Amino acid sequence: MSDTVLRKTANHRSRLTRSQEHAAWILCSPAMILLILFMILPFFMSVFYSFTSRQLVVSAKRPTTFVGLTNYQKVFTDEVTVKSFWNTLEYTLILVPCVLVFATLLALLVNRKARGVTIFRLIYFSPQVVTMTVVTVIWSAFFSSMDNGLFNVIIGAFGVPAQKWLQDPNLAMPCIAIMSIWQCLGMQMMIVLGGLQFIPEEIYEAGTIDGCTPWQELIYITIPQLKNTLVYVFISNTIYSLKMFTQVFMLTQGGPSNSTTTLVYRMYEEGFTNKRVGRTSALAVVFFLIVLVISQVQNRITEDK
Amino acid sequence: MAMAQNPSKKRVSDTLFYVLYVFVAILFLAPLLFLFISAMKEETQLISDMTTLKAFVPYGNMSFDNYVQVFEKIDFLHYFRNSAVNAIIQVAVGLFINGMMGYALGLLEFRGRKFLISLMISLTIIPTEAVVINRFLVAVNMGVVNTVWALALPNLAIPMYVYLFYQHFRGMPKDLVEAAIIDGESYTGIFFKIMTPLSKPIYATVAIMSFIRAWGDLLWPTLVVRDNTWMTLPQKLRSLNDNVYVYWGQIFAFSAMVTLPILIVFLVFQKQFVQSVAMSGIKG
Repeated sequence: MSDTVLRKTANHRSRLTRSQEHAAWILCSPAMILLILFMILPFFMSVFYSFTSRQLVVSAKRPTTFVGLTNYQKVFTDEVTVKSFWNTLEYTLILVPCVLVFATLLALLVNRKARGVTIFRLIYFSPQVVTMTVVTVIWSAFFSSMDNGLFNVIIGAFGVPAQKWLQDPNLAMPCIAIMSIWQCLGMQMMIVLGGLQFIPEEIYEAGTIDGCTPWQELIYITIPQLKNTLVYVFISNTIYSLKMFTQVFMLTQGGPSNSTTTLVYRMYEEGFTNKRVGRTSALAVVFFLIVLVISQVQNRITEDK
Repeated sequence: MAMAQNPSKKRVSDTLFYVLYVFVAILFLAPLLFLFISAMKEETQLISDMTTLKAFVPYGNMSFDNYVQVFEKIDFLHYFRNSAVNAIIQVAVGLFINGMMGYALGLLEFRGRKFLISLMISLTIIPTEAVVINRFLVAVNMGVVNTVWALALPNLAIPMYVYLFYQHFRGMPKDLVEAAIIDGESYTGIFFKIMTPLSKPIYATVAIMSFIRAWGDLLWPTLVVRDNTWMTLPQKLRSLNDNVYVYWGQIFAFSAMVTLPILIVFLVFQKQFVQSVAMSGIKG
């Protein structure tokens, strides 16, 4: 008697796990099929084609053949491609430190219990909702290269001669960085603010008892406590700047004299203008490896606790 | 004495803070004000104003003429419809399939679960930019180029969103599932009838993230949509910006209308917006 009950329950159990298994696979399959088609398959295609001479349109005249490491060699010797690495690095070196410092300062500024402070937070956040294409339209008007362009008039008031801004190889990238910082700063401020509000009040109280000055408070309490948040902001913005494309595509098409050709813009050029899928794939693989290393760095730094 | 001194000192520092707040607010708002004000100015005034701080002052002949022109000459509604259809498909279908997978990973037990979870985590690292050219080849082979499917299909399943849903559903009580099973509910039914209604905040968060992403994307639409039929707003804005014969006023009016929908969503769903920021911060 009790034996049958037991067996029945066991049967019921296994039927349950089976139906659970079925349901799980049905629920996962739409997303999985799409991910395989548009993420995993293209990823392996990139790795595979990076060793071939594959062109965008395959024809009898240009068959796809194995070329060994030639494409990778090109990544590190092709003049424009090498320049695109340096340009991307330049952009990252401007954007990331600025975002880190200003986002932290802003977060400290709005981390007070004052009336209306939430409204100011929202105002600082609002550029985030402006689509990047629109951001570039607005700022390109400010960065007009004409003598009576807005920024030229402003710097003229301080006696600085008119600049060519986006048409100046030395200034184009900093200009793009400035508009990008304007757009993303508010959001990074919110992230740092979230980190600040996680710091236990008692630590500050202990600091006050020990006679901390506000400066010491910042250096010995706030910043060490914010470490993980700041590392996150640092890494995510680094990866974000490595992917920069829209601004260049809208404003400069890589010019003047390739001073704004970024990695992703170079991929676009090589793949769709020059129609070299093989070379683009090699560049894409290198790009992926860079992103991979950077995200591993974050895991290493934040893991130790 | 000291007691009397403190409040006035505090008032001074409060005022100082507000001055700073307003100053920074002006820096952040000025470009937006410039956009909306310029969109209403008449072309010759607009161009001469653009050289001075008058660019930020609404005065003179303010009208909606530029907007009318954008509707009549540039056919704004066509591109708006394309962007809207694309964004709605991406948000709606995306929430559905990413949510389902997140629920299965978070609450159900099945063989391969652990593998799929680590697969999702690894996939979040791959930037779409790194697979974009071969993704394009896949789209070409599927024969979907120049259709809305080319725009939307590759952007429906997003590993990051699956992961966010997984984290959310993992925190839900398993007893809820077991109780519903005893009541004769199926595992799929539990997702739709019990879990989804209980998870509105996470859905709102992911919806906002994916809407912003869909609305602003330029790279992928440029690759797969080469003619007017399904051209999106950012693409059209780019071609206007490149065309020297298009008036600034119209470009600004067009840009303003690209911005407005997100601005409205932002003003209505501020909390969820900020939440979506905090969420993107947990990414491990």
